[in-house]
Amino acid sequence: MSIAEVADTEVRQIEAEAAPTRFARGWHCLGLERDFRDGKPHRINAFGQKLVVFSGEDGTINVLDGYCRHMGADLSEGTIKGNELACPFHDWRWGGDGRCKQIPYARRVPLRARTAAWHTLVQDGMLFLWNDPEGNPPPADVTIPKIDSYGKDDWTDWIWYTTVIEGANCREIVDNVVDMAHFFYVHYSFPTHFSNIFEGHTATQFMKGEGREDIRPKGKPGTRQSLGSSSVAAYHGPSFMIDDLVYHYSDGDVPSVLINCHYPIDSNSFVLQYGVIVQKQPGLDDEAAEAMARRQGDFIRLGFEQDVAIWKTKARIDNPLLCEEDGPVYQLRRWYEQFYVDVADVTPEMTERFEFEIDTSRPNEAWRREVEENIARRDAEAAAAAATAGSSSQPV
Amino acid sequence: MSVRPDNRLADGPMTPLTCSACGACVEARKSSWEQSTVQWHADSVERCLERRASTPRPGPNGAAFAGCQTLKQEIREAAVLGRLPIQIDEDLPTNPLNEEAHA
Repeated sequence: MSIAEVADTEVRQIEAEAAPTRFARGWHCLGLERDFRDGKPHRINAFGQKLVVFSGEDGTINVLDGYCRHMGADLSEGTIKGNELACPFHDWRWGGDGRCKQIPYARRVPLRARTAAWHTLVQDGMLFLWNDPEGNPPPADVTIPKIDSYGKDDWTDWIWYTTVIEGANCREIVDNVVDMAHFFYVHYSFPTHFSNIFEGHTATQFMKGEGREDIRPKGKPGTRQSLGSSSVAAYHGPSFMIDDLVYHYSDGDVPSVLINCHYPIDSNSFVLQYGVIVQKQPGLDDEAAEAMARRQGDFIRLGFEQDVAIWKTKARIDNPLLCEEDGPVYQLRRWYEQFYVDVADVTPEMTERFEFEIDTSRPNEAWRREVEENIARRDAEAAAAAATAGSSSQPV
Repeated sequence: MSVRPDNRLADGPMTPLTCSACGACVEARKSSWEQSTVQWHADSVERCLERRASTPRPGPNGAAFAGCQTLKQEIREAAVLGRLPIQIDEDLPTNPLNEEAHA
């Protein structure tokens, strides 16, 4: 047999190594800061461990290992006393720096009474935690950019969603950055422009899109028309994406900011969180603006739910078979790899600038035909149903 | 985990290309007239004049340099002149409206 014949008869095998046992180095968002400021300790299952988050009288939000170094009790079952977290078992008092400050029944605190404390960052209403398997503090140049719109009077506060994804490693979600075609099939939009840039610890996706009319029909003539959206979405590190997203309407633009972030629970489950803030439109009161943000969030949730359905049942594939119209999946994974190796082992290929750009007119020709067929079929079905109904009852 | 090579590069690898404006050496690849990828390196990023002159765009993701327009033109030119192979063998698409006008 010739080589060509072998290639033609051989079945392509899916190859996959086990999910990584280590967790990504980088800032991870744990959720909204306001949810941790209720005077109670909070248990967080993350990075294969149990953590406890608490905020004392000084307002600082601290993250410690979840288990008391005295007799191993769960500190998230304890209580906050002043600036310290008191263990539910023997009332040992732990400070946000990880040191035991006081044992009410003892004359002095024993040596090495210190537990693991995590570096945290509170920014734009969110709480971040720095994970580093090597134990180093966050470098000054590894940051999360500020979201200037957050906190402005004419913007809503976060509408926030949290969901636990079982049966998938968090790396699956990151592939979406380059997956142009899935936006049509899973998220119901036509990408009219699509490009990616990976550089340093940032992976950016530029996308312009229009809605699918077979999913969201256009409004009647004379009413407000949706003209599509422009999006610049970037992962800053392994798990936190900011999407600078503008919806275009016939009567003007609606700017919004979408967050898409996650943290691993273990190698086979993760917490997916997303949130949205929207600029309040003139003539809308706060309640209406918030309802609008929630509608947008709910629509995004639909998209994620469809992603999740795929993730839960899909196989890990280290050797995806890509066609020329697909995005730079391998190059993205090479970028993502930098967060799973020691800093000393980060290679230039992982961080050097890479660009991908595609004019989407060609795929859109096929997709527009599909949408038109869907609409025509639905119209025919509706007409048939109306004809049947019409024969048995009088039109009103 | 180790990242595998891109199956598409087996048929058509990246092609080195030097920008005539600044001398930056990059690797480029076009799968079709509509698609291109560019691999930069630390020295080419430093050389790029447009990048040096660029300022951040507004918004939280504005720090990322959007790309060099000169290089983009050069890649297109190299493709038209046949110096940069196109993986999908098709003629350079022309404006159908123009064709109608000529007919």
